[in-house]
Amino acid sequence: MAAGPSSPCPASTGCWWEPMAWTHSFRCWRRTAVTTRLSTMPLRRWYTSPPQKPSRRKWKRMGNPQRPVIHPWLGNSFTEIFTKRQENIELLINLLDEFDFKVRYPTVKLLTNLLKNRPKDLQETILVVPSGVSKLMDLLSDSREVVRNDALLLLTQLTKNNTNLQKIVAFENGYDHIFAIIKSEGFADGGVVVEDCLILMLNLLRNNPSNQTFFKEGTYIQRLTSFFILPMDNKEGWSAQKVTNIHYMLQLVRSLVAPQNPAQAVTSCQRVMNQCGLLQTLTGLLMASGVPVDILTDTINTVSDMIRGNMPNQEFFASMMAPSTPPRPAIVVLLMSMVNDKQPFVLRCAVLYCFQCFLYRNQTGQAQIIQTLLPQTADVVPGAKPFPNSITAGQLLCSGLFSSDPVSNWFAAVALSHSLVDNLSQKENMLRVQLATSVGSQPVSLMQQCTSILQAGPKVLTRLGILMLLSTWLAHSPMAVQTFLAIPAAVPHLTTHVSANEHDELEIVCQGLCAFLLGLCIQFNDGSGTSFSTESLRQLVTDRIGAENFTDKLSNILRTEAYTKAVKSPQLAVKHPSDLVFDHEFCRLFKSLEVTCLRAVMPQLAGGSTTEVTPVEVTKYKDIIRDQDAEITKLRDRLAGIEKEVEELKAGKEQMSAQVQQLHDENTVLRVQQGISRETEVTKEESEQHSTTTTTADTIPASTTSTDTAPATTDHTTEQQQTEQVTLLQQQLAEMTHARDYYYYEMYKKDTELTATQQQLQQLQQQQQQQQSSEIQQQQQQQQQQGNQTCGQQQTSTAGQQINNHLDNQNAADFFDSLSNPEMENLRKQLEDLQLVLYNKDSEIQQLKEIAAQAPPHSEQNGTVERVAEVSGEHPDEAAHDRLQQECATLKQQVKDYEIHVKQLQTQLETAAAAAAAATAASVAVGTGSGTTAETRCKQLEEELDTIKREQEDLLVLVTDQDSKMSEYRRKLRTYGEDVTEDEDEEDEDGDFAITENYDDDLDDIQ
Amino acid sequence: MSDGHSCPVLSMRVLAGVGKSCLLLQFTDKRFQPVHDLTIGVEFGARMITIDNKQIKLQIWDTAGQEAFRSITRSYYRGAAGALLVYDITRRETFNHLTQWLEDARQHSNSNMVIMLIGNKSDLDSRREVKREEGEAFAREHGLVFMETSAKTAANVEEAFINTAREIYEKIQEGVFDVHNEANGIKIGPQHSPGGAGLTSNQGAAGGQGGGCC
Repeated sequence: MAAGPSSPCPASTGCWWEPMAWTHSFRCWRRTAVTTRLSTMPLRRWYTSPPQKPSRRKWKRMGNPQRPVIHPWLGNSFTEIFTKRQENIELLINLLDEFDFKVRYPTVKLLTNLLKNRPKDLQETILVVPSGVSKLMDLLSDSREVVRNDALLLLTQLTKNNTNLQKIVAFENGYDHIFAIIKSEGFADGGVVVEDCLILMLNLLRNNPSNQTFFKEGTYIQRLTSFFILPMDNKEGWSAQKVTNIHYMLQLVRSLVAPQNPAQAVTSCQRVMNQCGLLQTLTGLLMASGVPVDILTDTINTVSDMIRGNMPNQEFFASMMAPSTPPRPAIVVLLMSMVNDKQPFVLRCAVLYCFQCFLYRNQTGQAQIIQTLLPQTADVVPGAKPFPNSITAGQLLCSGLFSSDPVSNWFAAVALSHSLVDNLSQKENMLRVQLATSVGSQPVSLMQQCTSILQAGPKVLTRLGILMLLSTWLAHSPMAVQTFLAIPAAVPHLTTHVSANEHDELEIVCQGLCAFLLGLCIQFNDGSGTSFSTESLRQLVTDRIGAENFTDKLSNILRTEAYTKAVKSPQLAVKHPSDLVFDHEFCRLFKSLEVTCLRAVMPQLAGGSTTEVTPVEVTKYKDIIRDQDAEITKLRDRLAGIEKEVEELKAGKEQMSAQVQQLHDENTVLRVQQGISRETEVTKEESEQHSTTTTTADTIPASTTSTDTAPATTDHTTEQQQTEQVTLLQQQLAEMTHARDYYYYEMYKKDTELTATQQQLQQLQQQQQQQQSSEIQQQQQQQQQQGNQTCGQQQTSTAGQQINNHLDNQNAADFFDSLSNPEMENLRKQLEDLQLVLYNKDSEIQQLKEIAAQAPPHSEQNGTVERVAEVSGEHPDEAAHDRLQQECATLKQQVKDYEIHVKQLQTQLETAAAAAAAATAASVAVGTGSGTTAETRCKQLEEELDTIKREQEDLLVLVTDQDSKMSEYRRKLRTYGEDVTEDEDEEDEDGDFAITENYDDDLDDIQ
Repeated sequence: MSDGHSCPVLSMRVLAGVGKSCLLLQFTDKRFQPVHDLTIGVEFGARMITIDNKQIKLQIWDTAGQEAFRSITRSYYRGAAGALLVYDITRRETFNHLTQWLEDARQHSNSNMVIMLIGNKSDLDSRREVKREEGEAFAREHGLVFMETSAKTAANVEEAFINTAREIYEKIQEGVFDVHNEANGIKIGPQHSPGGAGLTSNQGAAGGQGGGCC
């Protein structure tokens, strides 16, 4: 005590730069500092002092009392200049690698100063410097305490308000280092270094959930227990440093379970604290004697946070007994302090907080407290003084409520209200509490007593407390409301107070509370009582107070500073009894029900956000929602139906478009075919013509018809059928043409055969050296002639058929265009001429046939004289042969003439056909009778086909005839001794009515 | 202390990386949080596991994946015994970043650090961008252990952490890690831990890459 701060340390004799001397001197100074601080309670916070007040202790540590006073802004701007370059800081941190004290220590000091001046800049830089934090952490292991101690201060500055650095320090085994130092220094007795350690640890843990989890998971909470194992036999009392250290230790515990932390983390920490015995140790400290009041207060607050909202911990707290005689529950002992006006105010506040935490989310605890108020257990008999050992929490609270000390009144009222928070059944239970006020008088209910106190007009603090208690009581409890309304003069008292016109701050709050209470009476009035209905109360408020006035009074509460303060934290943040106004739990209630109250008084107040909604409104909204639901369902169904319809329509549309496309295609095909069919007719003729000249190519030339310019608008189906018919007929026609060509080919072959036979005969004649008789020669000539005639006949008949076809085509063309121009007439005449020529030819052939018919008897006769005059008949034979050849040539010439004629006709026909096509196109363009035209054409083609068929049959008959004739001739030849191969005949017999497969090959050979 | 292995309480530190907070959450709390805030700096998580009948506490430091936090997360490599390098199989860029992160981890950590490569979000196979084979090849090339996990379905999550822990444990048994050197990320547990003397192994693993997890 005697040693002043400026007294030099007697041991400090060495040079200032000598490390040992430094350390020694520092430690001496430290001790001195501790002793000087005994009187400077409560707490010295040098590290937060503004820079302009140079820290006494700091320069004491420097051991330089003559430190000049510098303007703070100067150092600040120097720091700014220095830290602007990151290299400077990196250099300083790398200097820490140097073990030499004269380098390392000043570097630490410099960094600390820089950090104090510009913490943010330095923190950011150090974070970026590679292993910057690691190097700083290594300082904690420095064997020289002075370096280590200053490193603690440096790290404290470094981790202030920087979560990332806090985490890295923790990761770098910061907790271990700190715990090790605390242990080596002797825990709470350890002096200022322990204090520094604890401050650094607090920096790491406060508002840093990650580090808190690490602390918990690293089983560091268990290590905290050892902090509070204190020897209690110390009669000299605790040193100020020890008090400070314990204060920080308690802060450390609180930082882990603070209500501001995440609930989950708090719960797990609370559990660990219970398991590791920390809770037990601290409650033991609570009950211990000789503990300084401020430590006791801190301990109560710490224990409060440790049990808050944690059922097992709350149960443990409830079961704890104080080591008194007789033993009392710790709660009762604490409450006794609370309602004792001799106790320090902070302690009483702490007890209230502890009680509040004990009941927080603890319905069992609430029930236990109310139970002690009820007659059967309270053992309160009118006129009988309760035994001291049977004193209960309830009794203590009641005595506090009705004591003459307004602070006690306030505390007791608030404590009672905590046993009612969110607990409807206890609100109703408390209505049964009866009190004996004086000997002989009727017991009165607690509520009645409360209103009586109110009406008595005591100190404002008492009224505040009781109004808060009543508000908590009435909220959400219609039964309590009815009981309150039944009390005479309760409502008039409230209305009078609300409309009072006092301007004291606390009076204004009181008016607001009265208004709030009135609002609650209206809101939670179920109308079961007879005294006041909701409507009559509302009327009363409007008449006596006025809606505007009511709103003003109510909202005044929100405007007060006390309300803002109380809302912030569950713990009372007041230093003096005069600061007492609101309780945290009441503020929560007020916040949730203020708007509801306003709406209860003024139902016309539409809109606005409200947490409470009347059942009527709920029903209304439910109805609306139900209606909307039904409508939505209906609309959904409709939508589904419409979607389905759309799908169907789409499918239908696709089908239609496909149909249209098909029809369009068909139409196009039809148009082309119409053109082709005409072409085909022509081609058929052409091919026939080619056949005559042994060119039997049967290809249909590509259609160049493009007459269909307008789309068909008439019935597609009919047209399609007709098209099919036409196609069929055309195919048949093609087949027939082919067959006919084949037959021609057969004829040609036979002709060749005949020629071959003739050659054979000639050879034979040469071989026989003209020994054959002239009759035989004649017969042979006749035979040859006959073959030629047959050939000619066949050709002629083919030509006839062509002409017939031609005529048919001509007729068809005529029919199509109904044209009868002179050219056509001319053609017809020519045709008739041709027919005439044909007829002549036929008759000629007939004549030849007759001659041929006469020939056989001649040959038979000749046969008899054959051997007689075999040599003489050479000349007549030659003459006959020449004649036959001439005839043949004539016939060929005639056929050629016919061909030319036919060609001419064909050209004419083509012209006619083109005209017809043009006419058709025109008719289609007009759009009428297209189908009919096609139909007619079909018929024509059918007729044509029939004609061709008939002709073919005729031809077949002819061919057969000729065949038989040829066979006959051959037979005759054989009889003359000629060797005639039968192969061809046999083949002919087989292939008479069928087209042989090698026909095409043969055709190629011929060509 | 000398018989630390007989009654061991090992605790290890693994920095799971980069927004792989979901993975950590699944491992420590056995729950999945579809929407997770971006990891700022580093978050801590821990869980007790049993290897060879020995209780080991894994300390996991979940480091942020953002480039901005790189200087911060670098501080955590020193003093880590293991690392989980995590990428997202549905985002190729996270896989592409692996080389860079592996270099960083190798440069700032001690050479014995066990590194496990994790391809997360294996439940989103339809959106897969990185083939399993690619991950395997990368792991082979760099001598890492590979695994695909899903923080959502919890598939392989246990295995990933426990396998890492097991490897570290084996290295401790082999004497590769000196349990008395804190820089290795393994430390002997506090004396008052249950069962008397214990062994705490602090193993950090630096976390992989990939930004916004889940």
